[in-house]
Amino acid sequence: MEADVVIVGGGPAGMACALRLAQLIDAHNASGVDELLSKENICVLEKSREVGQHCLSGGLLDPRSMRELLPGFEKEAPLDAEVTKESVWFLTRSGRYKAPIVPPPLRDHGNYVISLNKFVKWMGQKVEQAGITVFTGFAGSELLWANESKDVETARVLGVQTDDKGVDKEGRPKGNFEPGYELRAKVTILAEGTRGSLAKELISKLGLEDLEHAQTYGVGIKELWEIPAGRVAKGEVIYTLGYPLTSREYGGAWVYGISDTLVSVGYVTGLDYQDPRTDPHHVFQSFKEHKLARRILEGGKMIRYGAKSLPYGGWLTMPRIYGNGWMLLGDSASFLNSQRLKGIHLAIKSGMLAAEAAFDALVSGDSSADRLREYKAAVDASWIREELWPVRNFHQGFEHGLLGGMVRAGIQQVRRGGNLGPDAKNGAGYTRMERVDELGPALAKRAPMVGNAKGDGKLTFDRLTDVFHSGTRHDEDQPVHLVVEDLSICSSRCTKEYGNPCQYFCPAAVYEMVEQPQRADTPRAEGAGTDGGSDGSTKELRINFTNCVHCKTCDIMDPYQIITWVPPEGGGGPNYDGM
Amino acid sequence: MKILVCIKQVPQKDAPLRLNEAGTWIRDDVSWETNEPDAYALEEALRQKEKHGGEVAAITAGPARAQQVLREALAKGADRAIHLEDDRFAQMDAANTARAIAAAIAGENFDLIVTGLQSDDFGAAQTGVLLAEILGVPHATIIIGIEKTDAGLKLKRELEAGHYQHIEMTMPAVLTIQSGINKLRYATLIGIKQAKMKPMRKVTWAEVEGKLSKHVQKIERLYVPGSQKKTRKIEAPAGEAAKQVVEYLKNEARAI
Repeated sequence: MEADVVIVGGGPAGMACALRLAQLIDAHNASGVDELLSKENICVLEKSREVGQHCLSGGLLDPRSMRELLPGFEKEAPLDAEVTKESVWFLTRSGRYKAPIVPPPLRDHGNYVISLNKFVKWMGQKVEQAGITVFTGFAGSELLWANESKDVETARVLGVQTDDKGVDKEGRPKGNFEPGYELRAKVTILAEGTRGSLAKELISKLGLEDLEHAQTYGVGIKELWEIPAGRVAKGEVIYTLGYPLTSREYGGAWVYGISDTLVSVGYVTGLDYQDPRTDPHHVFQSFKEHKLARRILEGGKMIRYGAKSLPYGGWLTMPRIYGNGWMLLGDSASFLNSQRLKGIHLAIKSGMLAAEAAFDALVSGDSSADRLREYKAAVDASWIREELWPVRNFHQGFEHGLLGGMVRAGIQQVRRGGNLGPDAKNGAGYTRMERVDELGPALAKRAPMVGNAKGDGKLTFDRLTDVFHSGTRHDEDQPVHLVVEDLSICSSRCTKEYGNPCQYFCPAAVYEMVEQPQRADTPRAEGAGTDGGSDGSTKELRINFTNCVHCKTCDIMDPYQIITWVPPEGGGGPNYDGM
Repeated sequence: MKILVCIKQVPQKDAPLRLNEAGTWIRDDVSWETNEPDAYALEEALRQKEKHGGEVAAITAGPARAQQVLREALAKGADRAIHLEDDRFAQMDAANTARAIAAAIAGENFDLIVTGLQSDDFGAAQTGVLLAEILGVPHATIIIGIEKTDAGLKLKRELEAGHYQHIEMTMPAVLTIQSGINKLRYATLIGIKQAKMKPMRKVTWAEVEGKLSKHVQKIERLYVPGSQKKTRKIEAPAGEAAKQVVEYLKNEARAI
């Protein structure tokens, strides 16, 4: 199939891109030119069954870019509340200290509490009304390349291959097999969100990541709670730092009042922690037991759960965002302000700017890097750079702990983003993980964040209870979509060196090390690899891929980088209704 | 063959459900999907059309959101769709749903009408049967095999405990289809694109209102069952314990 523009990913970035493109084409066609452009040949691919189902965010929207895209959008968009009140707290195990003033970056007056799921659903309707088709249930599984070149100057992307459907767990076609499409496009736009699978292929093939400024990530764990009225005001925003993380880890919690009886609550843990037993889901559960959170949630009811990774690195870790026939948007390209904990508005803006470059490419018939460079130039000239450049060193400043990070953040605040010296460098987060036998002191302090949470079933939950509330589902008879390059590493080296951190960092209990009875007739579990341990016991990795919530944490945090997240059959995955 | 498929939009199977304020139904802020047995009915209709020619129309009754199930049907290969569009269609009892569908297709003369054997939400398994009664045509339920013959239809019905019934029937007829009768196809990119061009007829409440009557079924109250765990532990030597269990089952639980 031939298309003009293919946008992979129907999140805020992809939808904004489609919408802006439709606006430009409409204006172009109405201007009396001879060569009309068609919106028929623009398509948005979205792997979830319905628009918005895989979209997850804490839920604050800075309206700046939306006002540019659709002036007056507030009148019709689903916005839950305008922020009316903020506070920032530092938590210790039993104490809480309120920041005397709310630091400027965390002042949220004028922003909106939203459900990103509902918001993107609404954007999707706008896109459909504008005449662009959103193909739900279709993932991009591979990029189509014009040549073998690995040089960004000469390599050219020709489109994407969509996923095959109806393949069984052994990789054989089922009765209803439907092969994927070769979807060729003049411009291919990747807006897959954090650690997009095609973006990863592109970045690694063309060597776009700067090793001195590797992307760093966090994983956000979120629950929606119904609570008795009077505890958190509609539009109230609470941020916390500290407990249950120690001063060595990066992260913090949020509580957003959606209505008088509904709150979004969550915790982001930086994926650059040292202790391999760290369990971000446990971190969040322990946070809920802290009296600050307990007072809000106790007696309420958890109604939804979700988890998603986010890129923390900011401006310095942004890969090249354009090339011959391709552009990168949103979280796939590091458009997130980690100091303000906001990325939706930047994702939308990046989509709009990419749309303008794509439009010019269609009009001129030239979609080479020379033409699409316009996108990068537009980003540099826009308020995206104004916003991200001064905070470029923010997350990196915390690499060596909370205290130093706070000091550096203060210095950067004064020096417009600069350190007392050159810009910070950083490697990938997983490289900071320490081996089990090298773990330093202060282990006792880490009890609330290591190992899996058991949950009391009321305030705190184990992972399976939470996963149930993510609404995730996948057809069981399909290939495992978490591809482990070498399973023997899991049961031998990794067990010894890192104690199989996949059991802990996955917020959906996908990875499980199970004791295997040593019987030859034992049927193989899905995606299993095995190895005899030296003590005679055999533990093998079981991959419960049907639990997966598509957060990509495993792809990011695995210390050997042997896990590759590939899209499962389109339509599978979580259902973040109302999240 | 001119075939009609009746499709219902139901809450997604794994959606976390919450009761509405009145406690009479669930809150509708959930995701929706095609009722699974109806998806099999659609697939069967498409296969019959592929074998014998003709056309497949899909019909649903429900608010604007229900259009999604028709779009999916069109994307998979249905030729046209009929949407009884009104919020009031969502909470009708089975008899009125059947009356509304019958009114909407008056004069269409379908050879075959198929639908799922029941809906995943109400699970009444009545709409298809009642529709047949209203139209005055024969029906058969729990169908797991359809073969068209010169005389009409040869059908296989699923009975309990692994038994089957083979029957023959004339057309026109209404069949309610069991899940698993076939393997569902996927919508294709081209199918989704083409679906946009296919005709979708809207039927308003006013057009069918005259054919409806009072709802005879209504949900009074819906509630989450409370936990009623009553465990009794019998501690005694095996023989004695067995006697006590039998005693209990006979006299107290009256189970044997």
